[in-house]
Amino acid sequence: MKSGISIFIATLVALGASWCGFVLAPTLQLGGAKQTVVLQSTDNWPLQRTGAATLGLQVYRAYGCAACHTEQVRQDGAAFEVTLTDLGTHKPDEFTAFAKSLFVLPELADYTNAMSDNLKGWNGGVPKALLVCTDKDIASEMGDRLKAAGVNSETRIVATGPDITRGWGSRLSVAADYLYDQPVQLGSLRAGPDLANIGVRAPDARWQLQHLYAPKSITPGSTMPSFKFLFEVRPKINGEASPEALTLPKEFAAEAGYEVVPKPEAKELAAYLLSLKANVPLYEAPFTPLAATK
Amino acid sequence: MSDETKACSLPTTGEPTATRSAAPMWIIVTTLLLLFLGGYYFDLHGGWFNAKVYSPYYSAEKLDAYQPQSGAAAALARGKRTYEAVCGICHGTDGLGKPGQAPPLAGSEMVNCAGVNRLIHIPLAGLNGPIRVKGQDWGLAMAAMGAALPDEDLAATLTYIRSSWGNNAGPVTGDDVKKVRAGLGASPQPMSGLQLLKMPE
Amino acid sequence: MNPTENTTSRPNELEASLRVPLLALFGGAAVWLVVGLGLGLIAGIKFHAPDFLGGCPLFTYGRVAPAANDAVLYGFCIPAALGVALWIFARLSRSPLALPLVPVVAANLWHLGVFVGTAGILLGDSTGHTWLEYPRAAAVLLFAAFLLIAVSAAATFGWRKENPLYPSHWFLLAALLWFPWIYSTANLFLNSNQVPRGVVQPIIAWWFANNLVFVWLALMGIGTAFYFLPKIAGRPLANSGYVLFAFLTLIFFGTWCGIPQSAPVPAWLPVLSSVAAALTLLPLLAITIVTWKTVCGAGVACKGGPFCFIRFGVLCFIISGVLYVSAACPQYSRILEFTWFGTAQTQLQLLGFTAMILFGAVYELLPAVMGKPLPLPKAVRLHSWLGTAGVLLLVVPLVLAGMAQGGKLADATVPFAEVNSAALKFLRISTTGQLLILLGALLFAANILIMTIQWKLGLAKTVIAYIKSPLETAPVTLRSGAGEVKS
Repeated sequence: MKSGISIFIATLVALGASWCGFVLAPTLQLGGAKQTVVLQSTDNWPLQRTGAATLGLQVYRAYGCAACHTEQVRQDGAAFEVTLTDLGTHKPDEFTAFAKSLFVLPELADYTNAMSDNLKGWNGGVPKALLVCTDKDIASEMGDRLKAAGVNSETRIVATGPDITRGWGSRLSVAADYLYDQPVQLGSLRAGPDLANIGVRAPDARWQLQHLYAPKSITPGSTMPSFKFLFEVRPKINGEASPEALTLPKEFAAEAGYEVVPKPEAKELAAYLLSLKANVPLYEAPFTPLAATK
Repeated sequence: MSDETKACSLPTTGEPTATRSAAPMWIIVTTLLLLFLGGYYFDLHGGWFNAKVYSPYYSAEKLDAYQPQSGAAAALARGKRTYEAVCGICHGTDGLGKPGQAPPLAGSEMVNCAGVNRLIHIPLAGLNGPIRVKGQDWGLAMAAMGAALPDEDLAATLTYIRSSWGNNAGPVTGDDVKKVRAGLGASPQPMSGLQLLKMPE
Repeated sequence: MNPTENTTSRPNELEASLRVPLLALFGGAAVWLVVGLGLGLIAGIKFHAPDFLGGCPLFTYGRVAPAANDAVLYGFCIPAALGVALWIFARLSRSPLALPLVPVVAANLWHLGVFVGTAGILLGDSTGHTWLEYPRAAAVLLFAAFLLIAVSAAATFGWRKENPLYPSHWFLLAALLWFPWIYSTANLFLNSNQVPRGVVQPIIAWWFANNLVFVWLALMGIGTAFYFLPKIAGRPLANSGYVLFAFLTLIFFGTWCGIPQSAPVPAWLPVLSSVAAALTLLPLLAITIVTWKTVCGAGVACKGGPFCFIRFGVLCFIISGVLYVSAACPQYSRILEFTWFGTAQTQLQLLGFTAMILFGAVYELLPAVMGKPLPLPKAVRLHSWLGTAGVLLLVVPLVLAGMAQGGKLADATVPFAEVNSAALKFLRISTTGQLLILLGALLFAANILIMTIQWKLGLAKTVIAYIKSPLETAPVTLRSGAGEVKS
């Protein structure tokens, strides 16, 4: 490094390379993305947001909700889940005994044990998940053997990982989920739960509004602040609450004769939250939806 | 390594100077080693710039393995599994057969025949006696390997055979198999190649 | 005494040329540091009392927290680092600052930009991308101001009287080129009318954040430290070969870090980032070796002086770098992502590494520039203790909070409320750390502001004396007082 020019060139090359890799290449690869097709369906994904939900994203951005909430689901891996759908002529306890003999080879003992654990305390209700395994052949083999024994089963592809188990999503979040987000609010800290599918978990707008107004009225120990300023406390007209008014538990309710009504911003934010429901299988994030299993 | 303490040519008016030395070899070797390991790691996990490959899947092949299969694809996969477990031992997983044991299925006239009646008879009834495949006579016996398989599974297996290794014939349905099985009765006798050829396609 | 003395500028002239620009940069920076830390304290308190200032939409956590971070980074770290860099450039060039009025204008533009940006975030006009929250108007001001300062620095460098380069030159020159590139790219892509669709936005935002908060601050901080450490220690900077290696690996590998492991983007992006993070251990190692060899056995009794600040800053950089790299390791990132661990690393990078090095540098250079000692010399030592203790109390609990939170988050049987409360007790301690850092920053600001006021009073006196007195004596006093304006 003898001269300013050599430093200039080194910097240009170094930063230029990462610019090409992390700015140009993703723009070319993902910037022109369009709606994709839901796996095993003709539906498109993602859906365009309604006007209110689109405005709600701006409310979400303006109040910095992403400082505490993420909108991305992680997935550790994928597996095949064999689910019993029809016992046929078998009795539950008879089937439990039969399941133990399904795999006799010693190297498959783990599967037999896992299945026995799953069947402990089973009352015979279907559908019943028998086995979750990462080996596709084992899952298929098991389906075949059950069928041979006159028992019907279905093999589901499931995503695994703590986020999935917590019910925050059915699969990992992928680029397609954010196609219509402007700006994309991924977040980087989970001081609050993930919101990628909050519209599936809490599909009721009134629940969302009540939670925004008084989080503690729904989750007692919540550290979420109240977004009171998105609501208006106004006197009831002729003692009648308006249809929009929140129904709150006593300790959170406005004083007698008054009601709490959401301002437009609050309604938009709630509409946005309801629009968050990444719950369809895609080619890059496959799983078998529960509805597909009859 | 080279710790020669020859000061830079900066004349000192209270400004700092630097000891001249070259970067030692060990750190450069470490860098190259780490770059190599990094490339190896990328090869294993990076999905080679595929826009559809995300982190738990690592590669397009692994992602394909987790695609739910419906209808034809699922049947084909089942057929492949059954074929490899039941038929592949003699006919080979590549469908080329084994000299002195079993004729090839790849390119076989019987397999690629437009009608499926004759083909279904073979696994259900078994073979006994000479049969001509691709201009060569085979005089070996085959047990009724498919008699124990459910109709759908046998159909899937035959469909797999008819659409693999360059074969390009239509699928076999469960109903086709059912019809042939009903026609054969309870204890069918193994047939010869000539008997087969006398039957309708 | 020195034969070259005649050809180089007189030290007085050199220092005087920097007086107004540096006071403008440092004064505003000190104020923004206090504002930023104050906002940070409000954000911290909100975690213990969620409804503190709850009725006021201006002070929602989601607005205060980014405003605080940006005020520390854009308000303090960048202008203060630029001021120090201008001084180093002038010193290493043995010539006065070129175009001294330009950085004065730039400093005021910059601080105006930070004001517009902070107000924008608090009023809900943030762009929504981390470290790029400032609205368009602020971004334009910041970009213009940076270019002006860079022009002045480049001119000082270009017209230097001393030809060979010193290692600090590499780092600082690269940084001058780095910022305009990343800041313009990020704003043109994310803060314009034509925003790319979907996840391209966060990818560019991550690229920008990594290149600013990790690489740019590292270039500035290490460039500064490698100037002051040997200077104060009175011995040469050890092994320039290692330094060159550190510089090159930092810019070539460090710039590829920053895409989180579980980002909802195709696998190649995070995998490239984690490979780059592993390679970033190399510059960290080389910087450790150089610092060790330069500092160890130097026999400097620092006792809370500038040396102490800078040494601690480099130590923080190494730790922050290791935390950064470990968070990019797939096994650890599963646990550490989406927790306070990330905050801990950023705060260490900003307040432990950059700020501490800049404090030390400013305390060291300000008396030389102003030609007189600091008004509150004892406050420096107190600040050193407050800063060190504050950084430890802020960062260590946040790291532990991140680990506790991450461990529980990874176990789906633990209810989410418990995950959150696991972190809360650590956050209480880190709020104490924030308070100590704020107190230290107040001492820093006091030193700079008193010095500015004293200087302005002195200037006023000179001007009055000039008007009142006979003409023949005045120009001499004016020249030593405000020579930079005339030159």
